[in-house]
Amino acid sequence: MKQHTTRMTLTIDNKTVTADTGASILDVARQNGIDIPTLCWHEQLSPHGGCRMCIVEVEGLSHFPTACTTPAADGMIVRTHTAQIREMRAEILQLFLSEHTASCLVCDEQEECREYMSTVRKAGVTTGCRYCPKDGQCELQAVTESLGVRDIIYPIYYRGIPVETEDPFYDRDYNLCILCGRCVRMCQEVRLADVLAYKHRGRDAIIGPAFARTHLEAGCEFCGACVSVCPTGTLREKARAWEGAPDREEITTCTFCGVGCQVRLLVKEDRIIGSLPADDPTVNQGQLCVKGRFCNTELVNGHQRIRHPYRRENDIAWDVSWDAAFELIAEKLRSSAPERTGMLVSSNLTNEDLYVAQKFMRVVMKTHHIDSTARLFYGSGFSAYLTLMDRAVPLSAIRDASAVLMVGLDTRFSRSVVGVAIRTAMKRGIRMFTLHSREHTFSLNADVWLQPEVGEEYRYVEALVRLAAGEDVTDRSIPADMRVRLADVARALSESDSPVILVGAEFLQYDSSRAFLAAVAQLADHVGAGVLTLPAQNNLYGSLLSGSFPELLPGMRPTADAARLQKLESLWGTSLTGLTDAWNADHLLRDDCAMQFLYAVGALPPVHRGAAKFTVFQNMYPPEPYCSADLVLPTAAATETDGSFLNGERRVQRVRRAVAPPGIALPDWDILCRLARHMGAEGFAFTRPEEIREEMAQVIPGFGEAEIDARGILPLAFDAVMHVSGNGTAQRPPDSDHPFILHSSVVEHTHRGFPLAAWVEGSRILFPEGVLDISAEDARALGLRDGDSVHVSGASFEEIYPVRIVRQQPRGALHASILESALTHPNPQPVSVRKADV
Amino acid sequence: MFSEEELKQVEELKSHYPTNLSAVMGVLHMYQDKYGHISDEGITYVANLLEVPEENVLGVVTFYEMYHQHKTGKYKLQVCTNVSCMLRGSDMVLQTIKDKIGIGIGEMTDDGLFSVHEAECLGSCGTAPMMSVNKDYHENLTPETINELIDALKAKG
Repeated sequence: MKQHTTRMTLTIDNKTVTADTGASILDVARQNGIDIPTLCWHEQLSPHGGCRMCIVEVEGLSHFPTACTTPAADGMIVRTHTAQIREMRAEILQLFLSEHTASCLVCDEQEECREYMSTVRKAGVTTGCRYCPKDGQCELQAVTESLGVRDIIYPIYYRGIPVETEDPFYDRDYNLCILCGRCVRMCQEVRLADVLAYKHRGRDAIIGPAFARTHLEAGCEFCGACVSVCPTGTLREKARAWEGAPDREEITTCTFCGVGCQVRLLVKEDRIIGSLPADDPTVNQGQLCVKGRFCNTELVNGHQRIRHPYRRENDIAWDVSWDAAFELIAEKLRSSAPERTGMLVSSNLTNEDLYVAQKFMRVVMKTHHIDSTARLFYGSGFSAYLTLMDRAVPLSAIRDASAVLMVGLDTRFSRSVVGVAIRTAMKRGIRMFTLHSREHTFSLNADVWLQPEVGEEYRYVEALVRLAAGEDVTDRSIPADMRVRLADVARALSESDSPVILVGAEFLQYDSSRAFLAAVAQLADHVGAGVLTLPAQNNLYGSLLSGSFPELLPGMRPTADAARLQKLESLWGTSLTGLTDAWNADHLLRDDCAMQFLYAVGALPPVHRGAAKFTVFQNMYPPEPYCSADLVLPTAAATETDGSFLNGERRVQRVRRAVAPPGIALPDWDILCRLARHMGAEGFAFTRPEEIREEMAQVIPGFGEAEIDARGILPLAFDAVMHVSGNGTAQRPPDSDHPFILHSSVVEHTHRGFPLAAWVEGSRILFPEGVLDISAEDARALGLRDGDSVHVSGASFEEIYPVRIVRQQPRGALHASILESALTHPNPQPVSVRKADV
Repeated sequence: MFSEEELKQVEELKSHYPTNLSAVMGVLHMYQDKYGHISDEGITYVANLLEVPEENVLGVVTFYEMYHQHKTGKYKLQVCTNVSCMLRGSDMVLQTIKDKIGIGIGEMTDDGLFSVHEAECLGSCGTAPMMSVNKDYHENLTPETINELIDALKAKG
């Protein structure tokens, strides 16, 4: 659409300038290099006119308007730096400072302070000053300096508000707050989350959620957008508060889910000190979720990171050199039969890591035995999920959609940029429906919330399919009011020009997931909807494409594809006939799985069962003490290697090395290449990820840069059949011995097999692993308090969990978040619960 | 918490404005008229009724002096203490009330008949000092007129 704009001419500080109509005086001034101080203005937010720093003189006006809120007009004569205006700004600034505890801004000892900085005693102790974590990066400080304010004529009013530290990831010291309202506008206008608002007024005015709620209780997503725009030290990241300004930034791809947000890593002295959203127009549009914003830094900086290879035997561990480690692996591999050898990889690895890993197994070990832990995550619905994933529409489809149906998607702590896109679309007037058995971010503000009983989700989707096909719903197990809602949703989706179905990761582990996913595909066909699955694994597509499954060769072709095998044979210079493909990750969950050699690359092998005779554990963090790992190899984190990912839209995304790995850790591809060379194998002479990509482009249609379409999305088609375990057993109803229904979800907040809760402090509060959610009523009836241990037992299942009392949990239903390797029981299943003996 | 009739009134109020957020103040007045003050539950109720965030409703309630978050007396003595009234003797007004019924700003008599509130400018500077009792203005106050007024209200009960 062509927009009609006209130019206008005005005079600012005696300079004649031209601008498009609609621009504010501030916009025009800044476009022309005229600096006007601001505090409440921010490029991502609407103009507020609150701080009064940008007041200017406009000829013909008796008052001094704020430049940010006043539209420029043709013929206007503006003066921005007259003596009078400078004086007024200084006066207003002093009012700010009289309520701001940072006396260092105008402190007489400023010079002296700098002198003492090199002494043994901290400068702050010597000069007796208070110090602020934002020192040197504070916008109030910058404005104070630019206006030359050195004294405050007003008495200092210290509000004495206790610093709020009870929430994870960031603290709040409202004594430093200047009420610019950037955080409120960010929360309300951009994130559309409505957690923050102004409360009270005058000198009692304060920012926060309603009542005495913590941010956690108020539904905060902990996206940190408010922290990023705070001009002072009020909102401060716990992990980064005292780090100061970064030396440089590096743009890379976040590794926590299939959305693939672009992040700006802040680097100081070869260490990651923070991660902020990159202004990426296609995927995250300058937004992040709590994981991308806060978990990155802590995850890669943990002091428990592995630095050296080490050997473990009989509970004794000792460091070994890389050469000794390779020799040991070579020796073990030489004595292991290919059919008893396997490699377990994580779909968090880069395409290059995964490609080298599968090549290693196929060329060196002569077996197709490589599998991703993603198979365990999706269980019996794996194949159905991949088929659905293959229909992926781009994320931009949400912005163009006229109706959206979310199934099993909660965007609070994960994929929250998608939540923002949906709320933005809702503001535009689209209809939004959500299907989810538990209360979640959208349960209250969706147009319709379809709330099935746990495990009954597929019945609802099947009902939608029938309704969309013009049939009636005959399923009487669905309550009447829900049938009305279903009819409404089916009608709206059918009538919509461009509906989109978004598939989250909830209830994918239920035994009914295959039926559920098949019904989603049918529904999409009936209503002509685009489907976007948002996998929990950031590089699930990459692991398919690189052939990291026993059924798949690089390029997502089945292992039996003779033409592809031939092509690979000539490229790799080796024979690929007669390779075994009888094993996959599901076998590790069986007690009779007797492997001679298991190589876990960025994955946690299941504990207690499926133990291999010899296990190599290659990861960022050491294995749990009870995990049988005989040799532990240190790998580089995603921030320490170059490579690429494929997100859920099939978009090729770059991963960039920002810092060096700790100790003598190496990237996964490098370790595997060195090992292969150590074993005398040909075709592993890669020294850079680019070289791996060049080889991949030869076997993977579409992977060459030239073939990626203008949107950056790979033209791919998945048509292989994956082996799946389980057959979707019917759910057993509760009985008198087992009065509760336990549904288990595999925790999706993981990285390289570890739950984030293991290494990132704040995530223990937001998304704990291995806890049992119970309703307040049930907890009361059983005499349970938060954190108590309970003994849960089913027909062939026994486990002890700590409980978490959750208001939203339906009565009689329990929910456990567990690791994928712990999911070996029927799900959902009837269980009994009793308080565990201490 | 609102009756059918009151809900109709809310709908009518909403129809005056482009967004529900604009109707918050009017609905809060209705709520306060009915219950005397606006409790936390009241804030949640109004927010849900108008489908706006609780945070925004709380912001309005805590910003304006005329919304009360705590129980108030049957007669709300809202004494203006802004510049004009201050210069013309609002301190005297408060002191007279304190001498007469023993309560100051933010307090309520034990019988629940009176409560005293500090009000921002009520737009009656020409007749300062003044106060409003519930919705009625009492202007050009002197110790005598204040005592008479309180006696009259007490007699009314």
